[in-house]
Amino acid sequence: MKKKLLSLLLVATMVTSLAGCSGAKSSDSASVEEKVTIRVFSNQTDRKTGQGLIEQTLFDNYVKENPNINIEVEALDDEAYKTKFKAYATGNAMPDLLNAWGQPSFLNEVIDAGLLAELDKSSYDDYGFIEGSLDGFSRDGKLYGLPRNTDVMAFYYNKKIFEENGWKVPTTYAELLALAETINEAGIVPCSMDGSDKWPLSIWMHDLIAKINGESKAMLEASVTNADFSDPSYVQAAQLLKDAVDVGLFQNGFETTDYGTARNLFANGQAAMYYMGSWEMSMATNEDVLEDVRNNLGVFAMPVVEGGQGAATDIAAWNGGGYAVSANSEVKEETIALLNYMFQPENWSKLAWENGVCMSAQDYSAYLTGDETEPQKAFTDIVVGSTSITGVTFNDLGTSEFKTISEDGSQQLVIGALTPEKFWETMAEACK
Amino acid sequence: MKKLYSNKWVIFSLVAPGIITFICAILAPICLSFYYGLTDFSGMGSFSFIGLENYKVLMTDTSFWLSLRNSLLLAVGFICIQHPLAIITAAVLDRLQGKAEGFFRCVYFIPNVISVAIIAYLWKFIYNPSFGLLNNILKIFGAKAEVNWLGSGLAIWSVLIVLIWHGFGWGMLIYYTGIKNIDTVIYEAAAIDGASAKTTFLRITLPLMKPVIQVNVTLAIISALKQMETVYLLTNGGPGNETQFLANYLYKQAFNSFKYGYGNAISIVFVVICLLATVALNKIFAEQKTA
Repeated sequence: MKKKLLSLLLVATMVTSLAGCSGAKSSDSASVEEKVTIRVFSNQTDRKTGQGLIEQTLFDNYVKENPNINIEVEALDDEAYKTKFKAYATGNAMPDLLNAWGQPSFLNEVIDAGLLAELDKSSYDDYGFIEGSLDGFSRDGKLYGLPRNTDVMAFYYNKKIFEENGWKVPTTYAELLALAETINEAGIVPCSMDGSDKWPLSIWMHDLIAKINGESKAMLEASVTNADFSDPSYVQAAQLLKDAVDVGLFQNGFETTDYGTARNLFANGQAAMYYMGSWEMSMATNEDVLEDVRNNLGVFAMPVVEGGQGAATDIAAWNGGGYAVSANSEVKEETIALLNYMFQPENWSKLAWENGVCMSAQDYSAYLTGDETEPQKAFTDIVVGSTSITGVTFNDLGTSEFKTISEDGSQQLVIGALTPEKFWETMAEACK
Repeated sequence: MKKLYSNKWVIFSLVAPGIITFICAILAPICLSFYYGLTDFSGMGSFSFIGLENYKVLMTDTSFWLSLRNSLLLAVGFICIQHPLAIITAAVLDRLQGKAEGFFRCVYFIPNVISVAIIAYLWKFIYNPSFGLLNNILKIFGAKAEVNWLGSGLAIWSVLIVLIWHGFGWGMLIYYTGIKNIDTVIYEAAAIDGASAKTTFLRITLPLMKPVIQVNVTLAIISALKQMETVYLLTNGGPGNETQFLANYLYKQAFNSFKYGYGNAISIVFVVICLLATVALNKIFAEQKTA
């Protein structure tokens, strides 16, 4: 009898507690229903500095202005991002706002799989996007995303080290190579290079192709489409890269040095130069960078090649990272509204510039204050003074498979496993 | 109780959880992999059936053969370097007794406790040509040149050393438990008969450890073939493809090149190689038993 009573009591408590549970739940879901949640998948893992900070600031502002919107951010580093992106693509739970790269190697496969929503091109007419910057995100005349910034490849250099030793900024490639020897003799690494990620090596060649040929965008695109790299300028560019390796322009072991280590070599004053994109311009304000380096940061573009038709103003620049909206998003309209908000000129463009993070893909001239950091001014000058812009680098012009092969090839080239001729033969093979 | 176990339904219900897990988590994915291996699936969107094309490409893919060679090289390194050292260390540890025994057991096992990511970065810094520990030590001994440990030619050996060092603790711990399980009476008898340490080790410890060695060697070969994370973080196969390993190459093809179909074809070959290795090892050890 006692047992029976006890079990009855237990059952009673369980039922009431369960009822309590369900009661709480239902009230929860009711409040959620009013709110719209936009899921963002970002490659900006650092939300406190750089582009991540700008992104987060804009999200916070948007939520403040639109209390019914809730933004959930999931952020992963580039490589992990691409892997997870693919996992999302195969499943059905694609987040709403996505980070995307306006390069065929990334975007074409994604667009062809029908994963991205088409954006209304005409609605961005007064957003001030610079000419050609939307090309990377377009396919067959339709727009699928918006670029975040203009990326320019250049040399950062330590003015103080240069001045103290009486070195001059090289104006020709031969001078650059000659400088390598002089700097090595002083016991400093001439140019810090991230060879482990391979793409900086590809871009180095890409940059040289522009210096050899001048306007080279159409030529590169045709080469990738026709799988034909027989133009002698290609072999020359590869040879010039190999020459730089042979004269010791890069640090010992550069082919296995990763991004962070290469950057730190320069940021700690152990290297005189650092070949990297304009997205590193925030080094000038970054407290983690050695003060001596931070305050003496200079920038110059890849010097001209003797006998080449290009000028120093034919620059390697493109519009890389940006955003796209998932085609299957349940909150597509709200997501596009958020995207549009972010790219109103007074938002992304202005914030990014004022914080010295990057140059947006929009016209930011209205936000110039005159108090910019040295790299900001230098990069603006490079872009404003450019006579031609290469657009997407050659390694990103093909499929993602071509990207892997071409970047692997760049590394094999610098370690001497591939000759310049063989390198481009491999490239042509990979395009087929 | 006996009656209960002879009831087929009871047997079934006891075995079912294991079988179902095996089917869902291992067998079904392998079958799916085989299916995708016959397609040109990029990982998203539509795909078409291309028969054995992926396998044909695989046969002439030099990077694949290189990564297979590296994986086998690692297996050989495990068996010829890591395991003999592990057995000897385990035997010595067993002799040490007392506090020293526990201390060294811990020390040798530490690399296995540390996360793989940290291991990889630790060694990256040790190997760094300009400020790495290794080159600085060499400098003390008068070496002038900065050796590029992860550079072309040397890289594969540098990576092998890290992997062998990293897996050492596990192997040793299993051998150590094996040795601890050997009846001490046998050693006492040997000592009375005047057997030296060397003879005791060769005539008593080793033969009695045979089952442990068998398990350990099988595990080592499979872990060599499966090696991925340390290599991915240390060199990601570079420079070129010199330190490419099977699993890492598979990952690269499927996720970096978006050749999901091809990646799956590699994974099928991978499974076959692992199975063959296991079967071959079992055969070898079985023959020794009967001999």
